[in-house]
Amino acid sequence: MAISKLKLVFIIIGVLIFFGMLALYFFWNPSEVDVFPSCSFYSITGIYCPGCGSQRAAHKLLNGNVIEGIRHNYLIALLALVLLYQAFIFVVNTILDKQIINLLHKPKVTFGILILIILFWVLRNINLFPFTELAP
Amino acid sequence: MEQLKPPRPDSYLALAIISTIICCMPLGIVSIIYATKVNSLYADGHYDEASKASKNAKTWGLVSVGVAVVGLLIYVLIFGVALFGAMSNGDF
Repeated sequence: MAISKLKLVFIIIGVLIFFGMLALYFFWNPSEVDVFPSCSFYSITGIYCPGCGSQRAAHKLLNGNVIEGIRHNYLIALLALVLLYQAFIFVVNTILDKQIINLLHKPKVTFGILILIILFWVLRNINLFPFTELAP
Repeated sequence: MEQLKPPRPDSYLALAIISTIICCMPLGIVSIIYATKVNSLYADGHYDEASKASKNAKTWGLVSVGVAVVGLLIYVLIFGVALFGAMSNGDF
């Protein structure tokens, strides 16, 4: 399968932007420098969205503070889990040529993830002790 | 009558989660809802609807990631330039 020239250009631009953003978040701390936009949803409504805190989390993670990073936004852990699982399934099924059932293809699992994210969204906005941990 | 199953359309779940996390608009949620629909429609045998939902999940996911990245770049360019200007003037 040949990749068209236009697609190749898009991929190269995407990779450049990706590494540029990594560098940006590596060198500057979003809670100290005003270069980064704060969440537009939070600025307008005053309600945290499921993505709030991910910029601070990216800064902390890139600098090696994994636990502090995840505490800014626990969904990062969910994303890492899903990506690792997909990679694992890919390796086992495609490279080792086995037929393991992908749990992420089960409707209940996907639905569960949707519920988890919405629950996370609601709970992180509750200003009481155990839930304040979820806030960014 | 046993019908031949077409290949499972991609649910773009990972893309949907990425867009929910990095994009501060809940557009990613829409993408996850479509990703959920892909799997349940496919499991029920509605293959055409499943592939439609898959396309929707992909579109919503890509749009919200795109909006987030472009918005971030514009913001960083405008405020970054202003900040460095202030720094070089010694105001910062």
